[in-house]
Amino acid sequence: MSEKYMWVTCRTRMKRKCQNYESRLPDNTAVKQQQLPAFRLQLTASEILSGFFAIGLFCLGMGIILLLSAKSIKEVEINYTEKCATCAKLREEATNFDKECNCSISFYLPQKMEGNVYLYYKLYGFYQNLYRYILSRSNIQLVGADVKDVRNCAPFRTSDNGLPIAPCGAIANSMFNDTIVLWYNFNSSTHIRVPMVRTETAWWTDKYVKFQNPAFQNLSSAFAGTAKPPNWPKPVYELDENDPGNNGFINDDFIVWMRTAAFPNFKKLYRRLHRIGNFTEGLPAGSYSFIINYNFPVSRFQGQKAVVLSTLTWSGGSSLFLALTYVEP
Amino acid sequence: CLLVKTSKYNALNFLPMNLFEQFQRLANAYFLFLLFLQLIPQISSLAWYTTVIPLMVVLSITAVKDAIDDVKRHQNDNQVNNRSVLVIVTEKWMNVQVGDIIKLENNQIVTADILLLSSSEPYSLAYIETAELDGWLSQIKITELGLLFLFFFSGEVRCESPNNKLDRFTGILMYKGKNYILNHDRLILRGCVIRNTDWCYGLVIFTGPDTKVMQNSGKSTFKRTHIDHLMNVLVLWIFLFLGCMCFLLAVGHYIWENNKGYYFQDYLPWEDYVSSSVFSATLMFWSYFIILNTMVPISLYVSVEIIRLGNSFYINWDRKMFYEPKNTPAQARTTTLNEELGQVKYVFSDKTGTLTQNIMIFNKCSINGTLYGMHDDRIRRNKEKVDFSYNKLADPKFSFYDKTLVEAVKRGDRWVHLFFLSLSLCHTVISEEKVEGELVYQAQSPDEGALVTAARNFGFVFRSRTSETIMVVEMGKARIYQLLAILDFSNVRKRMSVIVRTPENRILLFCKGADTIICELLHPSCRSLKDITMDHLDDFASDGLRTLMVAYRELDSAFFQDWSKKHSEACLSLEDRENKISIVYEEIERDLMLLGATAIEDKLQDGVPETILTLNKAKIKIWVLTGDKQETAVNIAYACNIFEDEMDEIFIVEGNNDETVGGELRYEGRTATMKPDSLLESDPVNSYLTTKPQPPFKIPEEVPNGSYGLIINGYSLAHALEGNLELELVRTACMCKGVICCRMTPLQKAQVVELVKKYKKAVTLAIGDGANDVSMIKAAHIGVGISGQEGMQAMLSSDYAFSQFRYLQRLLLVHGRWSYNRMCKFLSYFFYKNFSFTLVHVWYAFYSGFSAQTVYDTWFITFYNLVYTSLPVLGLSLFDQDVNETWSLRFPELYEPGQHNLYFNKKEFVKCLLHGIYSSFVLFFIPMGTVYNSVRKDGKEISDYQSFSLIVQTSLLCVVTMQITLETTYWTMISHVFTWGSLGFYFCVLFFLYSDGLCLLFPDIFQFLGVARNTLNLPQMWLSVILSIILCMLPVIGYQFLKPLFWPVSVDQVSATGIYPNRIHDPLTSRRSAYAFSHKQGFGALITSGKTVKAKLPKRNSFHYKK
Repeated sequence: MSEKYMWVTCRTRMKRKCQNYESRLPDNTAVKQQQLPAFRLQLTASEILSGFFAIGLFCLGMGIILLLSAKSIKEVEINYTEKCATCAKLREEATNFDKECNCSISFYLPQKMEGNVYLYYKLYGFYQNLYRYILSRSNIQLVGADVKDVRNCAPFRTSDNGLPIAPCGAIANSMFNDTIVLWYNFNSSTHIRVPMVRTETAWWTDKYVKFQNPAFQNLSSAFAGTAKPPNWPKPVYELDENDPGNNGFINDDFIVWMRTAAFPNFKKLYRRLHRIGNFTEGLPAGSYSFIINYNFPVSRFQGQKAVVLSTLTWSGGSSLFLALTYVEP
Repeated sequence: CLLVKTSKYNALNFLPMNLFEQFQRLANAYFLFLLFLQLIPQISSLAWYTTVIPLMVVLSITAVKDAIDDVKRHQNDNQVNNRSVLVIVTEKWMNVQVGDIIKLENNQIVTADILLLSSSEPYSLAYIETAELDGWLSQIKITELGLLFLFFFSGEVRCESPNNKLDRFTGILMYKGKNYILNHDRLILRGCVIRNTDWCYGLVIFTGPDTKVMQNSGKSTFKRTHIDHLMNVLVLWIFLFLGCMCFLLAVGHYIWENNKGYYFQDYLPWEDYVSSSVFSATLMFWSYFIILNTMVPISLYVSVEIIRLGNSFYINWDRKMFYEPKNTPAQARTTTLNEELGQVKYVFSDKTGTLTQNIMIFNKCSINGTLYGMHDDRIRRNKEKVDFSYNKLADPKFSFYDKTLVEAVKRGDRWVHLFFLSLSLCHTVISEEKVEGELVYQAQSPDEGALVTAARNFGFVFRSRTSETIMVVEMGKARIYQLLAILDFSNVRKRMSVIVRTPENRILLFCKGADTIICELLHPSCRSLKDITMDHLDDFASDGLRTLMVAYRELDSAFFQDWSKKHSEACLSLEDRENKISIVYEEIERDLMLLGATAIEDKLQDGVPETILTLNKAKIKIWVLTGDKQETAVNIAYACNIFEDEMDEIFIVEGNNDETVGGELRYEGRTATMKPDSLLESDPVNSYLTTKPQPPFKIPEEVPNGSYGLIINGYSLAHALEGNLELELVRTACMCKGVICCRMTPLQKAQVVELVKKYKKAVTLAIGDGANDVSMIKAAHIGVGISGQEGMQAMLSSDYAFSQFRYLQRLLLVHGRWSYNRMCKFLSYFFYKNFSFTLVHVWYAFYSGFSAQTVYDTWFITFYNLVYTSLPVLGLSLFDQDVNETWSLRFPELYEPGQHNLYFNKKEFVKCLLHGIYSSFVLFFIPMGTVYNSVRKDGKEISDYQSFSLIVQTSLLCVVTMQITLETTYWTMISHVFTWGSLGFYFCVLFFLYSDGLCLLFPDIFQFLGVARNTLNLPQMWLSVILSIILCMLPVIGYQFLKPLFWPVSVDQVSATGIYPNRIHDPLTSRRSAYAFSHKQGFGALITSGKTVKAKLPKRNSFHYKK
């Protein structure tokens, strides 16, 4: 059909022009004549080969730099899944939720860790990237706009008695809740608790923009009419009762957890070393032990937990990957 | 009602109708289906807007295009409908109805098919210009029914139902018990213009869509290109691939749910409706189907259309295809076939008006055994033109170079005078004399015009005619001849005669026609003269001239009276009228006295031989399909390089039955010379054919051992086109360098095209200018119309139109090649970028529990095809030029890859797929390696999902942009702006989408707050992007630039010799040219008016009118 109509249009246009004896010579513009000035990319074999060579050199150099900086990082990782087997067993039974279980892991630091030292917890086989898991949160709630907005939070939307959960959703509910304390065994009798800072572990934008407590004088009243997530031992407004700037939705541990990991094995920043006293330089060499309050069950899904102490360089974490791949070509 | 309505929509129904039409397209329907899938919450894995927004954009682009088209149509309709016309009271055209009597005035455009009733001109003639319909400048229509009808009406017209035959109309007008026969001579078609006629009255017969022109325009079939078909096949492949992928991922999900997901339910319990991992996997199949749908890109079809439209505009805009004398630019009438112009393998060309100018020049003549006119062209150039100043009415444009003829005229040579008198009387030309002494001839065919003009210049000026008389100014003296009869031309008779009564009351018959015919009708007494004349004719023929014999006969009055009676009886007979008339004609056309012969040069168009040589170099085979005689066609074939003197042999197939034709094709042609072993079992083609492939099979290329030509006659072709000879014909003909098919009917032309299409699976192009080429233009993949002398009907059904044959090389070698290359580059790149984009999800599935989690932000998915990557690829496919036009014309060899479809085929597609898989692999695992277990330098998060997705999408965009810079060979400003602009735009959009304001406003829709700020400043991220680019690009660069060094193809080693040999044609044998009259039958009857007869009429459509 459209053919039929098309020519009619063309014909009429032509006719009009003919009547005026107008020249129908097309315009002499660069675009219409396809004569736009242009640069033609033409490379010879030697140019290509030298280009290859240059890229190779660049990669090699980059790789070596990355490799060296990665080597300078000191890192201690202790997997405590097996070491705290009794606790793990205890946690497999949901009925034991109110029983405390502590677990102590000693290790020896042969060399001191200089500079800033970071304490991470690391999970293996925990899928924070499942489609339904990632969606199961309420940003409206977390930004403090409406505490009772739980639309997207299935399957943890409301508590058994129908109250909206705050913070709702699978992510919040599954928050990592082991407490890890590092003790420095100065000598056999003196154990010094290594001072750690629990703030500034999350992105600034998360802490000050994306997560906000609902505006109320009293935090607990702000959350009135909501329920705590089922897995949590205490409500959100009791996450850090000592520091109002780290309580509720703007608790750093909470925010860090809420920034879901891309892969099932991940580590998340837990504490930063507070460099005072013995630890001004960093962590001195010596014997240490972690006291872990074991709350977070992982054995049910064959997951593993580890705790990591690490220093950092300009390129961040201890990823050898980039370095190695850069060296490869 | 005469309201012309070509528009489809109005303001109210536009939206529903347009949407309905658009969703009829498979692709759009598919995305609608996808949208519904996404609305099912159980399987939705992407936000609904990822599909809705692109779909809306695609639909609205198409809708806007349709709307613009329709607005134009509305304007057009309004313009046509609002022209005023006098329907006794002035009305607008749109109010005119069938059965109305209307008055048309000079220079008015007719917008309905109108039966002429009367006119202001003497003898009720009306002059119309039909340039819009068939390119003829003017025609005469007859209106002898007389004015009297106008005022007392109660008649009835019965006529055929609306049809598309422009040159046929049968009807009958019943008035006061009398029947008047109506034929197409009395019908003025829509689109004609009234000229030189003060007024005329007409009866409206067909209006609007029933008009012949409208009926004619809608007929052509919808043509699709090979790339279109390929694209559909590939989309199907992609679907299958998609299905497999989804199935595998669903299986993966099942396994994962069994091993992990089931135990992970503490943290993420299954949905209530999920009872088992099998059910969950089934849902997951659809979820992945939604995620991976971007493999079939929604914008593919729209982009392809935009590209084709752009490339069509280039053809319209090309100044080098603009023909100044006719003020006609080239015209791409179809915007969907561009890339196929770059793949043409066979060109089927008409001869007359296409290769030749269809301008006839009276060159030589032989009168009573004396040859006039120069023998050699080279001498002619130095000679002076003959001075015609003795004749005031001479046409100044006419030139002749032999003085002896003028001298003979001045001397008063009786035979010369009679010869020119016969030329000035025996024709159907109409003269016009607006200014005293300035005669303009309106000839039916250029041959006739040339002859009458020649007679005019030599002093026998045909000045005017009425239906009964012809006025001729003979050497300054006006004489009036009474026109007694015109024995009209027909294809069978191949001659025409007039019978006139001279002022001296002698009755003379003048006849002109084909030599073979006239020879048999001659009186025995002029045998010796005949022999001499035949010698002259041979001379003419060897020069490639078209010849006619001229003869006369003196009739005695009684004999004529007797004959005249028989004639009118024959005319009135109801059955077998034509046959009876021709018998009557034969009775009088005998015992003719030979006067002489004329030779007319059929001029080649400019640049035809060079064009054909260039096309030959591009391995394009050119077949000439003509209705002309063999000799004429062969002469032209030599003149324009289709046949060369160096050819090893030229086969002529002229058998009259299946066996001889088969033998000629099989043995004489192929076996004996071209390819001696082609009948053996061992021949690959034979062994291929013995395997009995299914009907749509393709005959492989065969290489002959030399260069050959083939000439085949229409009647032999009729046999060759039957049954198993088809194969022989195709095999033999396709091995020949040049093929001439002569004496072809329009249908046969189409059959030959269909034959090659069927067995060779090659792209065919038909080029022609006349109504007889319409069928082949429609049959071929690409039809090209020459808007030339013979008519515009070919143009109306063509896909491309221009006015000179030589533009064909530019259309194919420049525009076609570019379009093809651009389209191929576009498709390769387009598929590649979507594979790289989509398959990353598949890799991620292995790390995200096959949970249909996407890698990218939903907004990135929404905008990727639509915003971030659309402009660069459009820029590439609209502006790229791999070599410039000079080079592509200079090295026609560059055209070959297109013919074999080397740049985009299934193999290339698989390459794209593999390339895409590799890229997606790199694009996933490099960022993964980078972020895995990694933190920022302040110890904070980097391996979170959002940062990862940002890194991947940035890498992806950088990689595909780099890829397009590699593809681009021609960097214009626009390419730079598009390519780098799109990349820059991505970052702007990124910061906008991830900005505080937007995310706080809609926290649930824009979730990536602050990711851009926190991630884009990380050195790891940029190192990862650079690494991805390097890893993705290096193999490609290596392959692209090093391939020509190690495996060069013809394109890369074009030699630097591009000089065309200047050939001087020297025919070896004398060839007989013959009567080739591009003449329409039935014009004579028009002139001898008032003798209409009753005939049986189909009574299909009738209407009444009363007044």
